[in-house]
Amino acid sequence: MTTLDQQPAKAEGRKDPWGVLLEKVGKTQDRAAYHALFEHFAPQIKYYAISNGIASHAEELVQEVFISIWRRSCLYDWRKAAASTWIFTIARNQRIDMLRKMKRSSAEMAIETEDLWQIPGENEDEPVTSLHRLMSERRIRESLSQLPEEQITVIAKVYMEHKSHQMVADELDIPLGTVKSRVRLALNKLKVILQDQNV
Amino acid sequence: MTRHHPDSLSLMEYSAGNLSEPHALCIRLHLDQCPHCRSRVDTLNSLGAVMMDQQPKVSVSDTSFEQLLARIDEAPQTSQPVVNSPRLSPLQKLLGDDINDLPWKRQLGDVSVLDISEKFPGQEERVVLQKLVAGGKAPAHTHRGTETTIVLQGAFSDSKGVFNQWDFVVLTDQDVHKPVAIGHEDCITLSILSAPLKLTGTFGRLLNPFLR
Repeated sequence: MTTLDQQPAKAEGRKDPWGVLLEKVGKTQDRAAYHALFEHFAPQIKYYAISNGIASHAEELVQEVFISIWRRSCLYDWRKAAASTWIFTIARNQRIDMLRKMKRSSAEMAIETEDLWQIPGENEDEPVTSLHRLMSERRIRESLSQLPEEQITVIAKVYMEHKSHQMVADELDIPLGTVKSRVRLALNKLKVILQDQNV
Repeated sequence: MTRHHPDSLSLMEYSAGNLSEPHALCIRLHLDQCPHCRSRVDTLNSLGAVMMDQQPKVSVSDTSFEQLLARIDEAPQTSQPVVNSPRLSPLQKLLGDDINDLPWKRQLGDVSVLDISEKFPGQEERVVLQKLVAGGKAPAHTHRGTETTIVLQGAFSDSKGVFNQWDFVVLTDQDVHKPVAIGHEDCITLSILSAPLKLTGTFGRLLNPFLR
């Protein structure tokens, strides 16, 4: 971390453009930056809501996600997560939260959504270098472009349609084992699989 | 030192937000103590962001952004910056400060249990705390479904190895499980049962209320 602080110019070069905007919102409540983020991410989040089967609440989800972005942007740390990753986790949590609240009153919930699913960089002491994080997004894009379509389809259903591996298997009419092996192959490529179980 | 981690598929379901609340809790408790798995989840969260970016986009309504600004201007309390204050851990929220000091129900010999399923309303799984006194043994049993367990305190060993605090264990109907608490502390675990247990030993009938 110290090295980054000592080399502001170099560190600046590693920020992604959305992270820069997010920091402006966090530091100065910059509405132009907020609008630029909205233009880029709101249509993604709306599709995310629709593909997750809550089309009738899609606009509402977009609103909730962006209110949350406004409130939390002061906590955003570009060294801990790329902006798009941070926004994805907020969208995911708001989606979970909305579904939980549809089912029961908040008084019934002993535990909040964010106690279960954390937003990166919050309540986390451990510093991680930006280089690692940003490389990781670039690496994912590169790795994804090399994956066969059938593996991407399965991952998209898990992330975008809120489907368990079993539901994906039923829908594609393939065995559960096939779904799992497709995911494992993909995650292996993305280096999420442990090389050594005793790490 | 954590040695037994959740598998990548579970971490992916967690990152995608598809796990039930009790399962997400087990993963969250493990992540708090395991930098290695945190880094795996970071990558998976980035995968989620990339997936969202590569999917179609749907235009939002023309007034959507104005509504947002109106909300921010009109209701300062809902748009105030969040303060990153130290929070209670999820475990403290659920169970208070001392997990040893709970209304444990002694079952048989060395085993005590506490069913906390009602803390997760609307969930189908049973969520159970189990306590094995230091040095104590639990009767052998198998599982009809899957049992996901995280060690909250102490350690136990069984035929699969030694499981320390914050280790993650998933047992299926293929596993005969006969844990022994090791070390000086009582071993306390949090388990999620997707289906009733089946006892293999002679204690089966006695333990039925617990392992129902």
